[in-house]
Amino acid sequence: MTLLRSFWLWLVAFAVVLAIAVAVNPSAPSNSTRIAHLESLVKCPACEDLSVAESNATSAIAVRHEITQDVGSGMSDNKILTTIEAQYGPQILLSPSTSGLGALLWVVPIAALVVLIAALLRLARRRRA
Amino acid sequence: MTLTWLGRAFLYVAFAGAVGGMLTQVRAVFTKKKAPALLFALWSLLGVLGAVGVMQFALITHNFSLAYVSANNATFTPLLYSITGMWSALEGSLLLWSLLLALVTIGVLWYYRSDASDAVVQWASVVLFSVAAFFLGLMMFPADPFLHNPAHVLQGAGPNALLQDNPLVAVHPPLLYLGFVGFTVPFAFAIAMLITGRVHDRWPLEQRRWTVLSWGALSLGIILGAWWSYQVLGWGGFWGWDPVENAALLPWLTATAYIHSVIVQDRRGLFRVWNLSLAIATFSLTVLGTFFTRSGVLESVHSFSSSTLGPLLIGLFFFSVAVGVGLLAWRGDALRSPVGVDHPLSREGLFVANNVLFVGFAIVVLLGTVFPLLYEAVNGNQVTVGTPYFATIAAPLSVLLLLMMALAPLVSWRSADAGVLWNRLRVSAWAALLVAGILVALGVRHPAVLIACFLAALAAGAALRTLRGVIVSARRRGHLASAFRAPSTGGMIVHLGIVILAIGIVVSTSYTKRDEITLATGQSTVVDSQFVTFAGFHQVKDSLEEATQLKVVVDGHSLRPAVTTFNGRDTTVGTPAIDSNLLRDVYVTFDAVGGNGETSGAQVQSNLPAGSVVLGVTVEPLLSWLWIGGLVVGLGSGISFLRRRYVEDPQ
Amino acid sequence: MKRVVMLISLGIFVVIIVFSVFLGTRQPVTDATDANSPLLGKIAPSFSGSTLGGGHWSLRAERGDVVVINFWASWCEPCKVEAPNLSTFAYQERNRGVAVIGVVFNDTVAGAKAFDAYYGSLYPSIVDPGGAIANDYGVESPPTTFVLNKKGRVEATLLGAVSVAQLQAVVKRVRE
Repeated sequence: MTLLRSFWLWLVAFAVVLAIAVAVNPSAPSNSTRIAHLESLVKCPACEDLSVAESNATSAIAVRHEITQDVGSGMSDNKILTTIEAQYGPQILLSPSTSGLGALLWVVPIAALVVLIAALLRLARRRRA
Repeated sequence: MTLTWLGRAFLYVAFAGAVGGMLTQVRAVFTKKKAPALLFALWSLLGVLGAVGVMQFALITHNFSLAYVSANNATFTPLLYSITGMWSALEGSLLLWSLLLALVTIGVLWYYRSDASDAVVQWASVVLFSVAAFFLGLMMFPADPFLHNPAHVLQGAGPNALLQDNPLVAVHPPLLYLGFVGFTVPFAFAIAMLITGRVHDRWPLEQRRWTVLSWGALSLGIILGAWWSYQVLGWGGFWGWDPVENAALLPWLTATAYIHSVIVQDRRGLFRVWNLSLAIATFSLTVLGTFFTRSGVLESVHSFSSSTLGPLLIGLFFFSVAVGVGLLAWRGDALRSPVGVDHPLSREGLFVANNVLFVGFAIVVLLGTVFPLLYEAVNGNQVTVGTPYFATIAAPLSVLLLLMMALAPLVSWRSADAGVLWNRLRVSAWAALLVAGILVALGVRHPAVLIACFLAALAAGAALRTLRGVIVSARRRGHLASAFRAPSTGGMIVHLGIVILAIGIVVSTSYTKRDEITLATGQSTVVDSQFVTFAGFHQVKDSLEEATQLKVVVDGHSLRPAVTTFNGRDTTVGTPAIDSNLLRDVYVTFDAVGGNGETSGAQVQSNLPAGSVVLGVTVEPLLSWLWIGGLVVGLGSGISFLRRRYVEDPQ
Repeated sequence: MKRVVMLISLGIFVVIIVFSVFLGTRQPVTDATDANSPLLGKIAPSFSGSTLGGGHWSLRAERGDVVVINFWASWCEPCKVEAPNLSTFAYQERNRGVAVIGVVFNDTVAGAKAFDAYYGSLYPSIVDPGGAIANDYGVESPPTTFVLNKKGRVEATLLGAVSVAQLQAVVKRVRE
């Protein structure tokens, strides 16, 4: 068997495994996954950097109940987070909101990536010449 | 009063030794004569040893005439925690730092004693002595560990509760500091190489050895820190992206980049300037990390109390970077290598990608750590940057790094041939696909877990294949033991350790199940297929602590989660109990007690009947793989430290 | 080529200067909260009483000095943490126009005396029968520390355990 053929064989097997993984998949974003996700984004009010999902402080349990209620009453993720932020202050969110200065946290990594890739391409082109 | 003066005297002696060493080396460089660097290093070391001895004596004999001892020790503090008390607070931790720096300095100077008249070694000594003098100077003025306690105190406060809860306090800080201090050596030599202009000979490659040793110590230090947090802090996690944790991670990231790119310099003479920059950056980040930990500008569970050290440490940071950048600007152009990277998918190309990822991640972690300060300065409000941000960035980066671990060992230098690569990759590819297939068949659908395990298997395959090649060629030469010191052996073992770590992290964080259960005495329940029984209360009272322990049986093993009050500071902490095996960890905390039950500081829930308790039970699969992986990483770096120099390699 | 190297180096240099100055000028997170109390800027209510050591102490007698009034109790946990700090500070400033006085908050005399002896306090503390002084100062829970300037006006109210560094910083500010 040539190398190329063995590669295609492997690729086909890979595709099969991938297909099974994707097709036989029960995940629709259920309420409990949403709740768990939201809980990981909100800081426990009495702690340094634990999320309400991880802490058992009374204030953390209170916030967890609030999130569960809000999800049950149909509020969107964004609305829930902004409501909690309004109540406890911006430091309650473990990842700052992307509006305003918080955008810097995402702009800088992406910009750095672009700059680095550009520098590498220039380097590669110069060496080849 | 005598202890104060004795301790301070030793510090002055050590300081004089460091300054003397620095001055004589400078003179030696300019007059081209040899100067007794080793002697001054020994002088300084003896001074530091004396100071450490005085502090340890005071701690062990509970001598409260030193303010430091009365704040961190008590008459009933056990011997172990008296000894470790030296580094449980700011001033003492500087003593540990200075001790390790003095030991490292004398070790390095002794190793290069036959090159003592070489200008590179002389300039490196100047830098080492200067840094030592700086930290000793800190202890002489703003952060005096031997401050006299004017009050006639009969009893000290004892160590911080979380610092006497677990013997890991004896190992984590020394290893961590050894890592930090060790990075002073490549920095010193980088400065020396830039000043003398000699970057072409053996000196750059020598630095690999010291960097690997420091990197290994730092890696072990960080892993042990995570293990300690896990065992003690009570939330079942091991890493919080806390500013002080990030401070230790930053130099680790640049040091990892350095270890890899120096391999390229070794083989093909590339990246000379870049490697020097990385060495300078790693040391500077160590100083910056010290600044975050000791200045108090960022709130953290780990930071020491606020002090005036902040501006001084930032000064050292700025000075190191400024000198480094200045020297690089002066010399850099003359040091550029004539050759380049031939192909982006050659081994050199993949190492470039490796560096981009590690350094890029370091920049992002630094940004996230400093961002709350920036936000407060601009907006006046407080903001938190926590796990969600860092994890979102770390996840794709980790995937790419695992992929590169899978490819780079199999790819050739200077060229990229798809056929050759596939030939080498085939076995690992099928093995990885088999692993993924089995997981899919078992019902695993978490994309993170599937991707991570697939790539981890690929990476393990590449490492194992390389190791097999090393062993085969060693056997062919009739000298099996030489495989131990072959160039890639240590590194591939480290990669295997990282693979184990990665699987442990991904699986445990994806499948952690947290539950709060209420049990009456004698009652049992099943949590995530773990059988948990509450068997009753047990009170402990001794000179050190007062604790209410719960007798809990998990899967046949007896655990004692508790709520403990340490005498002295009278602080109450929860003491978790863990049942650990290769497959899963069960993490149990004493959350509340019912009715009017024994309190000893535990939360009381009066709506529950007396004699019942609320237990926090967290089941985390494969968590022990983190510590096993860490151990393998440490082992691999030790082997890498001992590896033969490339020049001696018979191949 | 040389110019590119110079430019990059200069750029990095500028970034590092800005970064270092920014970090170097950050204030450390203080232990006690500098709170807004209704007494700020007002003349502190005067009081006097018997000290735990058996003597007598009066606020009026301290006019002309900076006065640090610390409300504490033997059952209060943060008070145990700050006790050595207050003593160290009191001793350092004893000849520099700063007087430190403790006021026992909602505690038994025996308990307070035991605490005082245990921590070897280097400053006097007076008892507050009926909590009248605490009431005047609006103290809700210990430790609460007031710093008065030389004219007797309340310049700072600190809630929580104080550190030596923090006291030094606040007193320096108040002295001006």
